[in-house]
Amino acid sequence: MYIPVIGLEIHAELLTKSKVFCNCSAEFGGDQNSRCCPVCTGMPGTLPVINQTAVEYAVKAGFALNCEINKFSVFDRKNYFYPDLPKAYQISQLNYPLCINGSVPIEVEVDGEKIQKNIRINRIHLEEDAGKLIHDDYNGVSLADYNRCGIPLIEIVTEPDIRSAEEARAFVEKVSLLLQYAGVCDCKMEQGSLRCDVNISIMKPTDTEFGTRAEIKNLNSLKSIVRAIEYEIKRQSKILDGGGKVVQETRRFNDNHGDTKSMRSKEDAHDYRYFPEPDILQVNFTDEDLAAIRAKLPELPEKRFERYTKEYGLSETDAKILVSQKTISDFFNGALEVYNNPKSISSFIIVELLRRVNLGEVSMDNLPFSSKDFAILVQMADEEKVSKNDAKTILRFMVESGKNPEEIAKENGFLISNDTGKVEEVVEGVLSANKAIVEQWLSGEQKVFGFLMGQCTKELKGVCTPKVVKDILEAKLNSMK
Amino acid sequence: MDVSQLKIRQLREMLDKKEISAAELADEYIKRIKEYDKKLESYITVTEEIAKEQAKAAQERINSGSSSALTGIPIAIKDNICTEGVKTTCASKMLENFVPPYNATVIEKLYSENIVMLGKTSMDEFAMGGSTQTSAFAKTKNPYDLNRVPGGSSGGSAACVSAGLAPAALGSDTGGSIRQPAAFCGVTGLKPTYGRVSRYGLVAFASSLDQIGPIARDAHDCALVLNAISGCDSRDGTSSRLAAENFAAKIGMPVKGMKIAVPKEFYADGIDAVVRDSVLSAAQKYKEMGAEIVECSMPSLKYAVAAYYLISSAEASSNLSRYDGIKYGHRSSKGDSYSELVCNSRSEGFGEEVKRRILLGNYALSSGYYDAYYGKAMALKQKIRAEYEEIFKLCDVILTPTAPSVAYGINENVTDPVKMYQADICTVTVNIASLPAISTTCGYDSKGMPIGMSIIGKHFDEATIIQVADAFEKNFEIIPPRIV
Amino acid sequence: MDLDMVSYLAKLSKLNFTEDELKKAAADMTSIIDIMDTIKEVDIVYNPLADNKNMYLKDLREDIAKDSMETEKILQNAKHSDNCFVVPKVVE
Repeated sequence: MYIPVIGLEIHAELLTKSKVFCNCSAEFGGDQNSRCCPVCTGMPGTLPVINQTAVEYAVKAGFALNCEINKFSVFDRKNYFYPDLPKAYQISQLNYPLCINGSVPIEVEVDGEKIQKNIRINRIHLEEDAGKLIHDDYNGVSLADYNRCGIPLIEIVTEPDIRSAEEARAFVEKVSLLLQYAGVCDCKMEQGSLRCDVNISIMKPTDTEFGTRAEIKNLNSLKSIVRAIEYEIKRQSKILDGGGKVVQETRRFNDNHGDTKSMRSKEDAHDYRYFPEPDILQVNFTDEDLAAIRAKLPELPEKRFERYTKEYGLSETDAKILVSQKTISDFFNGALEVYNNPKSISSFIIVELLRRVNLGEVSMDNLPFSSKDFAILVQMADEEKVSKNDAKTILRFMVESGKNPEEIAKENGFLISNDTGKVEEVVEGVLSANKAIVEQWLSGEQKVFGFLMGQCTKELKGVCTPKVVKDILEAKLNSMK
Repeated sequence: MDVSQLKIRQLREMLDKKEISAAELADEYIKRIKEYDKKLESYITVTEEIAKEQAKAAQERINSGSSSALTGIPIAIKDNICTEGVKTTCASKMLENFVPPYNATVIEKLYSENIVMLGKTSMDEFAMGGSTQTSAFAKTKNPYDLNRVPGGSSGGSAACVSAGLAPAALGSDTGGSIRQPAAFCGVTGLKPTYGRVSRYGLVAFASSLDQIGPIARDAHDCALVLNAISGCDSRDGTSSRLAAENFAAKIGMPVKGMKIAVPKEFYADGIDAVVRDSVLSAAQKYKEMGAEIVECSMPSLKYAVAAYYLISSAEASSNLSRYDGIKYGHRSSKGDSYSELVCNSRSEGFGEEVKRRILLGNYALSSGYYDAYYGKAMALKQKIRAEYEEIFKLCDVILTPTAPSVAYGINENVTDPVKMYQADICTVTVNIASLPAISTTCGYDSKGMPIGMSIIGKHFDEATIIQVADAFEKNFEIIPPRIV
Repeated sequence: MDLDMVSYLAKLSKLNFTEDELKKAAADMTSIIDIMDTIKEVDIVYNPLADNKNMYLKDLREDIAKDSMETEKILQNAKHSDNCFVVPKVVE
């Protein structure tokens, strides 16, 4: 039995408007080489000019991950040849990264019990993304698209504190949640805005030193992180069991085969010849700068969870669902501002809204209605201005049309008027049409009340609430006793 | 009309008084280039058509009465400064056909003054060298003796100004590349304070040391060009935020009472006697003008060449890695894999000296050697800076020879890199300490070869070194090269 | 400097040398390194803080996206296809 020792390097693209060293758009996609300029394509004579917001976002991420911020930070060049790197060096940070010594709590299960474990963050530094290579098998060439060159990236490096694939998954989920809350990264792994390298070795419980590690590059889904780690544990265990030695190398995970393979092309000497980037001056922060950035950080998920459970009395399960995405939690908070009934709002979000989101009818990122409209709808249902069932229908219409709930209710006759005159009229009609049954009730057969109630509500659907019907029906019957 | 010895100020007056049109003036220089540059080889590209167009635009501005200091003035540009639509080769086979899609900031600034660009001047390949003999296209000769080098790396710019094939030119200076060729060719060259002029569009050699500056007939003309090209640039994060100023402002003010330091190490054994005597007699002239000569010392000078070559080569090895044959520049016809294509393109495209510097730079940065070489060189850089600070507590400017000798014969030195490197002893500390310095002619040797002296100033005090150089020039008679 | 070291540096530099060139480069480098070695006798250490130019967050470039350059101009000095730079097939 071996203990896996795992460290992660997470690369997260920052949500700035422009690239980190030039003014080209930092948006995802675009026609090939259409978001390029002489700077990000590494033309002779060009110079990098650092983006203020990229630095600010990296520091924000640092605060979200409980880091210390270096008040003096230096950029360095990491030199290596690769066709996706036009300057043949990546501007990164070596000895003076922006953030150091952080920690991220995750929940892990030990003997069926959930406990909290802290994963230490060694550093977060700011660097630039590389371009993309498209492999044209037909012509036997690769095509380089540099749109992604210079998108700001932070690299989050952990200490080797992770001990299983599940912990790795929990950590990545937690980090992406925190980055989304901080508003610095959208963490869309499928679009590559969050990517992960895994350093993994295994050791016997009696060993005092870590084993030789392999690095698995560029994992771009939670599933592949888990599978790659599980595969590596098996592979390395097999080697050690057979008396062999694990080779320190870079490996690539193959999603189709579920295995990792040594990357021969990256075997070139790993001598990156780092040195201070002479084109970029060192960045300093005043205490005021740092306080201002910290102040821009929203309330983080832990705090919100605490508020939701302790202050609002929500269940831990519900609170967890609400904070699991910043958009949901923000929506919830927004709705409360209009209608301060946390339990009602929470349950309508979780049961009704998220059901539609999960069905793919709508996404939390671009709801066609506001949290205010949603709150009004919940309040209408609670105050029985519409029936619970109609409230669900109204939500469906809101999703489809973006109209406000009052308008939809009015247009579709969902509004409950509780017009007692009309109710009395209907009740009287029902009673006179069912004289025999009324007799039965008067003689003590209570169960026929349900039939009379049903007859009334059938005719009064949408006019008033069942409670009103019931009250009036009871009153009338009692008066006949 | 003989324009060969005319200064920018004289040309300005002629243009404004309509004694000559901008087109006629451009023509005069183009004619001279056609007549003399076959022998001199100072230009790599002559931009005759562009010059004609620009002269037309300049004339319109002159006619409208809104000309600025350089409107209609013909200027040559070193071929490592990017010019949109005009080949920028760095005198390297690697960039033989490179046409930049953008203009350097200095080019934009000069164009906005409506200058007339005559062409792109030769240089040592990627500005690495002091002879212009490593140029892949035009091994420029010295106008004073065609068998001698013009110096380098801005040899084309210095030679063309010296021979009257341009009234002024832009050069670049990483370790002396403006001042030393200016000294060899008997003209005036100014290396501004690091950060004074934007480097955006200057093909990088050593980013922490490179600086663009003017080469002209005298210090006053240098000031006029510097006025036009200096200033903070949002595209260069290392450019200084100091407001632009008039660098000619102190010209004519007396040097009386000024303190001029002569650090003894700059006058030691490695310096030819004729050079030393000439610079010291210039010091004597300043004394006669009322300046005080202050003796001082720079103990770390003996390490300066090593520190300079380690830092500049380290940065160069990284800066030149981008030349892979993929995005621009020479692409080998051989090579089936990325790595092979890159190796072949680079091996075919770069000359011997460039390759040497790349090897040296990678050595200085490679793991296991970094601390001993690059790290130590950076520490020495700080020490040399500190020593300058000490000296400047005692003086206003520092006077040194610009080069240990006058221009040497073609093929001398060039084959021995060590000898070549050591010849940079007088100039490299200025770049290491980011200081401004100006080289002007202070004498001629027995064969008539010019001797240069350098006046080094405090950070961002170009106005004072221009003033001091100008004070000397006013009492010194230039002997034009015989080629004229 | 021995041939192994020069070969290693050549590999890092992505430069090809013939056997003869390698020998010459080794000889040149040896004499160059001789001068460089003079600095070893100085006992000082680089201090990055002393190079601080006091650039603060507020001095950095504002995050504004501007138009990029036309793709045609980006590619004008390159072998290109499909608006991309053509690279020999990269095997990973």
